Amino acid sequence: MSETEVVSESYVPFRPGLLRFEGGRGVLVGGRCRGCGAVYFPAPEVCARCQGEDLDRVDLSGRGAVYTYTVVRQSTPEFRTPYVLVYVDFPEGVRVLGQLVGCEPEAVRVGMPVEVVFEEVAKDPQGRPVVGWRFQPAEEA
Amino acid sequence: MDVYVVGAGMTKFGKHPDRDAVDLAVEAVNEAIRDAGVDRRRIQAAYCGHVYGGMVLGQKVLARTGLAGIPLANVENACSSGATAIREGYLAIRAGEYDVVLAFGVEHLTTRFRGALTPGEEDLEGALGLTMPAVYAMRAVRHMTEFGTTREELAYVSVKNKRNASLNPYAQFQNPVTVEDVLNSRPIADPLRLLDCCPVSDGAAAVILASERVVGELGRSRAVRLAAASLRTGTVEVGLPSMAFEPLTRATAQDAYERAGVGPEDVDFAEVHDCFSIAEVLRVEGLGLYPVGEYPKRAARGEADIGGRLPINPSGGLLGKGHPLGATGVAQVVELVRQLRGEAGPRQIEGARVGLAHCRGGKAAGVEGAACTVLIATR
Ligand SMILES: [Zn+2]
Repeated sequence: MSETEVVSESYVPFRPGLLRFEGGRGVLVGGRCRGCGAVYFPAPEVCARCQGEDLDRVDLSGRGAVYTYTVVRQSTPEFRTPYVLVYVDFPEGVRVLGQLVGCEPEAVRVGMPVEVVFEEVAKDPQGRPVVGWRFQPAEEA
Repeated sequence: MDVYVVGAGMTKFGKHPDRDAVDLAVEAVNEAIRDAGVDRRRIQAAYCGHVYGGMVLGQKVLARTGLAGIPLANVENACSSGATAIREGYLAIRAGEYDVVLAFGVEHLTTRFRGALTPGEEDLEGALGLTMPAVYAMRAVRHMTEFGTTREELAYVSVKNKRNASLNPYAQFQNPVTVEDVLNSRPIADPLRLLDCCPVSDGAAAVILASERVVGELGRSRAVRLAAASLRTGTVEVGLPSMAFEPLTRATAQDAYERAGVGPEDVDFAEVHDCFSIAEVLRVEGLGLYPVGEYPKRAARGEADIGGRLPINPSGGLLGKGHPLGATGVAQVVELVRQLRGEAGPRQIEGARVGLAHCRGGKAAGVEGAACTVLIATR
């Protein structure tokens, strides 16, 4: 498993509360219901399954498997095509959407192991890097 | 209090660069009123479905159709906006509040969008690059993975609907296409291609609803009973559910079947929300009209054709007739009315007595779908 990319201190998160960095490593942060154990990403204010209002923050694993995918060939102007989108199933029982990088579009397949990487996905109005998550192929477990 | 559709009208769907949304809606409303043969002064309330039409679009239409002054609500529910507007009128009549109401839907989409619709950049998944074609492309990959559905079988859904559209003078597409045409069209989001996707359309549609109390004097012989108008919102997905099945469509349909006192086996034809070829598959299987996993193969054998075992989208659907968002759900009911009256011309389904209309639309991160409607009409 390759090292998750180190991100400088002066980044702006793509969305507040969904990712954090610790010791140079990034993690996706979801929520787990204290009442029924359901895991969400992102965490809702109230559990959809048991209506419990107490959810703990939970770090998602760095690895998951491709549930489904597509190669987007027409999109809105802010996205350069083509790009690969994947839904990734995590061991915590939660599914996360992201772009897949480091892989030829023709090589993507259902069930493929992937890992989370954090990269600059845009610049904010002040020119600071906006950091979000992407997926890249991982070695078979 | 039973509710009846006593008048129906629509514009031709397509690109209308020389007209605006109000103009299109005025045409549809006037056609529905004339079709019903109702005095305009008897219309007590109106509901207008649209998504991108801007503030008080419905009132602008009332001002030009001799209806200004009555209560009107503008309704937004993504692709289910028009069907939701009909449901608001249906509920008001059932509650005993009104006897005659107008419900219409309209969109001038060609001036708002080109290319792929998205959930919106404020939505988490929209910001990650998700487009609506990408959503359905990823569902198609799952249906192919789980059930062995082929690319050619999906293409046949578009072939069937564009052929039906060629029999419908109100449809945007007037020319049939072949499976090869679909497979050779421009790729949009693999495995979906341009002809797997509904077009960007302008158009309007309108219906007049009447109560049991007054339907006799308005002409019962051409009236169609609206037996159910059900609405659900998508639930938040917990865990790792299959993307090759639609619990939201299933839940909405079950509510409608119970209220109408019919089951899927009683349905003679259906207009379903085929925004993409794979979408028709998911709708039809979610509605229980065909067994889960089997629709693409059965449709490719002709079971869903006009004249087949259970025809789907005889009007041409969104793929063939077009998809002006707010107008779509109302236009589906226009088709139910024409079929159930026996006025559908070359695309008439012989002996049709029960028709179903299904819409769903919108996408928000974490939920299976935003809004879903199922309407059932009977003769
Ligand atoms: Zn819970």
